[in-house]
Parts: sequence; structure tokens; C-alpha cells
Amino acid sequence: MSLPRCTLAAIAAFSTVAFAADPVAVRIAADTGGASTRVVLTFARQLTCTTMEAAGKLRIACPEAIAVDASARTLDDPILSGWATEGDRTLVLSLGAGYRRADTFELSNPARLVLDLQGDRQGSATTSVRAPAVAQPIVVLDPGHGGVETGAIGPSGLEEKDVTLDLARRLKPLLERQGLTVVLTRDEDRVLPLDDRTAIANQNRAELFVSLHVNASKRKSAVGAETYFLSTDATDAEARTLAAMENKAYAPADQTGGSTPAAGAPDRGLELILWDLAQNTYLAESSRLAELVQREMNGLAGTKDRGVRQAPFRVLMGATMPAILVEAAFISNPEEESRLKDVAAKDKIADAIARAIVAYRRDVASAGTH
Amino acid sequence: MRTFPLILAAALALAGCNRTSQEQQQPQEKQDANAPVATPAPDGSLPKTTITLYFPSATDDRLVAETREIVDTARPAERGTQVLVELMAGPKDKGTLPAVPEGTTLRQLWIGKSGIAWADFSEELATGLKGGSSDELLAVYAIVDSLTANVPQIKRVGLLVAGKERDTLAGHVDIRRPLPAETKLAPAPPSPSTE
Repeated sequence: MSLPRCTLAAIAAFSTVAFAADPVAVRIAADTGGASTRVVLTFARQLTCTTMEAAGKLRIACPEAIAVDASARTLDDPILSGWATEGDRTLVLSLGAGYRRADTFELSNPARLVLDLQGDRQGSATTSVRAPAVAQPIVVLDPGHGGVETGAIGPSGLEEKDVTLDLARRLKPLLERQGLTVVLTRDEDRVLPLDDRTAIANQNRAELFVSLHVNASKRKSAVGAETYFLSTDATDAEARTLAAMENKAYAPADQTGGSTPAAGAPDRGLELILWDLAQNTYLAESSRLAELVQREMNGLAGTKDRGVRQAPFRVLMGATMPAILVEAAFISNPEEESRLKDVAAKDKIADAIARAIVAYRRDVASAGTH
Repeated sequence: MRTFPLILAAALALAGCNRTSQEQQQPQEKQDANAPVATPAPDGSLPKTTITLYFPSATDDRLVAETREIVDTARPAERGTQVLVELMAGPKDKGTLPAVPEGTTLRQLWIGKSGIAWADFSEELATGLKGGSSDELLAVYAIVDSLTANVPQIKRVGLLVAGKERDTLAGHVDIRRPLPAETKLAPAPPSPSTE
């Protein structure tokens, strides 16, 4: 046993040394399945590259040499026709006739550069006349949980993460039909940190953030739907300041081997204050959106009204737009679990949420004209 | 006098928690270190006091009050520890459910100067939750409400798991910062400890 272990250590040491001199590995993925074409560059380590658009090309220039896993590709997509590397530091995206503009944002852990290429898939000839200045409003749908974080599991084994993704995929085309651009925080079964979910909404300058969940309770009889927005207590500025000061002044000695409230994160308190207050500005709108969603959910046959509620939910913190969390049903209840397996029932839930979002936007628009 | 803290410590140790000795209390607690824990009755028994615990209801998703007797102590951290030990021991009424997952133990509780308590639990508090936001909310606020209702010095409660900070216990409720009591889930506490 000891020999392979030594060899492994030697390889690890060698690769660490080699790593600094080697180009930064970059994984590229393009998703042409949505309304926009999304390109995600995943960097092996933190690297800040700049993007520049000129003459039908989008150049991504990095400060160090990069090694792109798929260095050249041609796509059959009206928005993005392909990409190729140029020199050892630049990746060039070739834009198609349907391309209008790019929204870019960065995510960390792992370091990613996300480019949402907005445009039109259908007949670019007719749409080229359309004024590109008016950006389509964006709604971010957040399917709860994912990957090893299954969320709640029903009595027959149905997992919350699958239900939430399914609901988001059903809801997406309904909203797109209303002229909205819809971004899913995850469109596959994978772990996505709660911070990233809100970050995707913020970076996209989304108009609304809707986190989709199903509930579970130790009480098997628990049934129904409820809609949450952030509790005011959770965004109480005074409390936040107090907590931050407390953290700094009374960091307990590390007696347990683990980290303590203030250890290793001296500015955490301040960071929390600034970010979490962001949602404060939108509580009234979030409340309104939650009420409309709950009203529509209540209209569904057999759905018990659990009302609009407030809680300090992590995923709603820091969202710079109206943000809600929908608990569509109880997966822990056998009857509701079987409804969550039923396509027609899931379509009805998606319909209800879509109607509420449309009603909310109509309200906001009419309020704006007075 | 010297034996009474020992009796109390033994009682707490029996109930499954550790790290509650006075040496490990935080500095702000030390000023109380020489205060008597309790004055014994002539027969040698320690005076008792009644506390109110909050457990999830078996019929709806609210918290329901149950009372317990604990040893009367002037020290907030010892009082708070007894509250949590009783809470972890589980409900006695038929109409209530356990507040925390089975096997959860308290590693440490300390109370800061401005009314913030940090309660450090074993990992079962997080791993034992089955993923529903309702259960998660009720577990968090059974702890927070029980502590704030019975220890006047505690205004907010921070939760740690296995000595570490977490964002959430099971993906929903933000526990990065100490939380105040949630009165919407429970009837108003009987003691005048509301802020």
C-alpha cells in the first residue's frame, strides 16, 4: 500500500509545480436550448478576462495563457455560429445574424465567466428591423436543491430536486410566450450554492426571482401550498449591525477544532449587512407577488391554502429584485406526492405561477402609468 | 456551597451535553462565576423554577408551549443549557413532536454581552432534517424561541453545527446570523423577556 501512496504524492507535488507555468485550463460549454444562447467558461483557477465586441465577433481576452478544452467549434445556431482560439490568451466567439447583445457575469467556486447571448432564433431577417434597444424583461426561476442535495424525499422516493426542475421547465415556455426571457439557475441535476442562485438573478438584472420548492413535514397529514417572501426581522438593519459587532467583539476561543463565528471571516458581518439589506427595498413588491402566486395556487383543485408567509430564507437574501419562494405542495404527503408525479397536475401548478407573474407585471405596469 | 455547581454539572452531563463547565464560559460570563448557583432548601434540595419550552405541534405547523422544572440558577448560560437539554429530551404531551432530530446533542452554549447566544449542536441537527422547509423552520425556532422565552439576557440566538458556521441547516433558513424569536409561530412567551 505504501508505494502507490508515495507515487501519488510525488505526482501531486509535480503537478502543483507544473500548474503555475502551464496555461489555465478552460472548459467551454454552450447551451443553445433556451431563448438566449448561454456560453459558460469554467476556469481551473481565478482569472479575470475582458470581453470586447467588434465586427460580429466577441473576443474574450485573458491576462494569461489559456488551454480551452474545445479550442474550435462550429454551431448551427443563429445567435452563435462558433468559436476559435486566437493566440494563446484569446477566445473568439463568432456571432450569428440573430445575435443582439451579450450579458456577461462572473461566478466563483469554481471561477466561471457566463455569457448570455441575447438574440433571435427565428428568421433574423424580419427581426433585424426590431429596435434592439428594448431589452426583454428577465425572470429567473430557481429550481430548489440539486445534485446530492436532493431536498425532501417523498414516501415513494420522489425527490424534491427533480420536481422543482420539472416545474421550472414547465413554467419557462409559459413565460416566454408572454415575451419574457427566462433564465433557470440550474437546468440540470447538480448542486448549486444558494449564493450563486441569487447572483445569477442579480447579474442578469432580472425583474423577478422565483425559487421553486416543495415542502415536507414530519406530520404526514401536512398538505397544501404556501408562498414565502423574506421576513423583515431578517433584514432588520439594527440587528444586523449588532450581530456584526457581537461577532467581532466576542469571538469565542476555538475549543472544538472547528471554526467559530468570527474566525477567518473578519468582514463577514459587514458583507452580510450590505448584501442582505438589498432585498429590503423590494419587500412590498415581493409581498405583492407572493399574494398573487398564492391566490392562483389556491384556485387549483384540491390545494389547501397555507397562505403567504415570511421567513428568513437564505436564497431570498441579497436579491436585488422582488423575490419569492413557492412551496407548491407537500412531497411528504402520499397524495400530494402522487400529484407531483402527475404531468397534468404539474402543468396546472406552472400555469398558476405563470398567471400570477403576468398579473403582477400588469399591476406594476398600470401603477407606473398613473 | 462548593458542591452545588457540581450537582448541576452532573445533572447537565447526564442529559447528554458537554463543555458546560464554568472554565469554558466566555469572559462576559466570568463576572458571575462566584455567584451562588442556587440557595439550597433546608433539606438540601436545590430550588426549582418553571420554564416554557416550544415544540412543533402534531396537528398544525405552529409551536406549542410545554412547561418543565429546572434547577434555578442565576447564570444565564447554565439556565440556557438546561432549557436546551430539556428541549432535546423531547416533548411529553401527545399533541407535540420532537423539536430537533434524534441524536442531537448540545456541544456548547455561550452568551455574549449584547444579548446574543451561540448554541453549538452536534451534526445531527443538520443531517437529521429531512429536507422540508417547515421542519427546518420549526427546529430553528423551537430552539430560538425556547431560549429567548426563558433566559431574559438572550435576545437573539446564533446556531452552530459541530463547531462550525453554516448558511442553513437544510437549505432554507438563513442561520448565518443570530435570529430573534419568531412570535408568529408560537404564542407570546409568558416571561417578560421580549425585546
